[in-house]
Amino acid sequence: MEKKIEHYDVVVIGGGPGGMTAALYAGRARLKTLLIEKSLIGGMATYTSEIENYPGFPEPIDGIELMKLFDKQFRRFGVDGKLTDVQSVSVECNTKIVSTFRTDYHAKAVIIATGNKPRLTGAKNEERFLNDKGISFCATCDAARNTGKRIMVIGSGDTAIEEGMFLTKFAREVLVSVIHNEGIMDANKVAQEKALANPKMKFIWNTVVESFEGDDMLKQVVLKNIKTGELMPYDVDTCFLFIGYVPNTKIFEGLVEMTNRGYIKTNENMETSREGFYAVGDCRDKTLRQVATAVGDGAIAGFMVEKYVEELEYLQKEIFEANGLIMAFIYNAVEAVDREYLARIEQIQKLYSEKVQLRRIDIYKSDRIACKLSYTKTPSLIFMKNGNILENITDLSNLDAKVAEAVKQYS
Amino acid sequence: MAEKTLDCLGEACPVPLVKTQKAMESMAVGDVLIVNIDHSCAMKNIPDWARSVGHVVEIEEVAEGEWNIIIQKMK
Repeated sequence: MEKKIEHYDVVVIGGGPGGMTAALYAGRARLKTLLIEKSLIGGMATYTSEIENYPGFPEPIDGIELMKLFDKQFRRFGVDGKLTDVQSVSVECNTKIVSTFRTDYHAKAVIIATGNKPRLTGAKNEERFLNDKGISFCATCDAARNTGKRIMVIGSGDTAIEEGMFLTKFAREVLVSVIHNEGIMDANKVAQEKALANPKMKFIWNTVVESFEGDDMLKQVVLKNIKTGELMPYDVDTCFLFIGYVPNTKIFEGLVEMTNRGYIKTNENMETSREGFYAVGDCRDKTLRQVATAVGDGAIAGFMVEKYVEELEYLQKEIFEANGLIMAFIYNAVEAVDREYLARIEQIQKLYSEKVQLRRIDIYKSDRIACKLSYTKTPSLIFMKNGNILENITDLSNLDAKVAEAVKQYS
Repeated sequence: MAEKTLDCLGEACPVPLVKTQKAMESMAVGDVLIVNIDHSCAMKNIPDWARSVGHVVEIEEVAEGEWNIIIQKMK
């Protein structure tokens, strides 16, 4: 089977709240935008039973319901959606190539919004009970089938405690394995108080998972007391792991800079270490990973990508692919001296309007275009032909003579 | 290359996943299974499982809240 090639301005990888917001902004800026999600639109937010801290929704809202609204909104702006997984991402001469099984998507810019996935315990036999064999990461998905059952939750952070409480509405008993000393949890205080007062929740302090036991399905979790070494088997129907997350960034290794834990480094404009690649949401190196912060990241990246694609197109069409001799005047619009030189260069250019075209490149908001022309200072004048840089004049004294000389030499 | 459709509309987790796993057993490498689902949770566990064992998965949204999971058996 031959691989198809499709062209986009922007490809967003990951359909969580960050990715959807980025796609919304890019689509609204009339960029040809594609969003790729590997399974259910909404990402990790769909694992949350009640989202209480996303502004605009005064009553708690189910994660899946909230994500459906996001989905509906970004599609209004002509964004294409594709439900498949990305196998690799590469760069070839300014084109970014996002490869899926059947199609290579060629893009001018890529927004990485691949998020997180739940961390595993690393305990014995864990692999055997993944994929609906008794180990779960999603309370909303598996709550109903645990009605009247005895279940276990591993972890003591916000997710563990809040989802654990949600599960008490279904399960007969919720055992919570906490690594810390008695009374110490990582969750917020409100959740802690409610959990301690919940008669269906039973805390087992100072413990980690030693092993998972069962045949086809999980039947027992063996906990180990980290102080005494004592092993404690508990018969349960489902064990929920809420011990944090690891970023989904493996396919970007070597492409963009990451922290040693695999989170992608960006600046405040969501730009990664590689030009044209942006990262938003939970996969990014940041302090707070929430729907509300992912949305902020997405808005910024969507906006930055619009500027980037615009600059790229200008550079390509007006400078590198332009016919004849070009002189690019690099200046900073807030500098009075630069503006004076701009006026002079405009007058000089009129004398040679047949032979040379002027391009005004203001670096005030972004010097990315000027960087492509290897500028070193403002004001300066760069002569180009057929996409090649011929001369960079940084000393603008005797400007008339210098331009006359250059035009004569290059045209 | 055979193609087979599995109707799991109206079925809740883990039934679609279990049925999918069973159906894949009897298929040959290169065959394609199309699973119709309308339970969002099956959108997570079926692709996750199929990819974890090395198959290729793509999904089409056929109507709001209704999907076809297309799985090609790779080994």
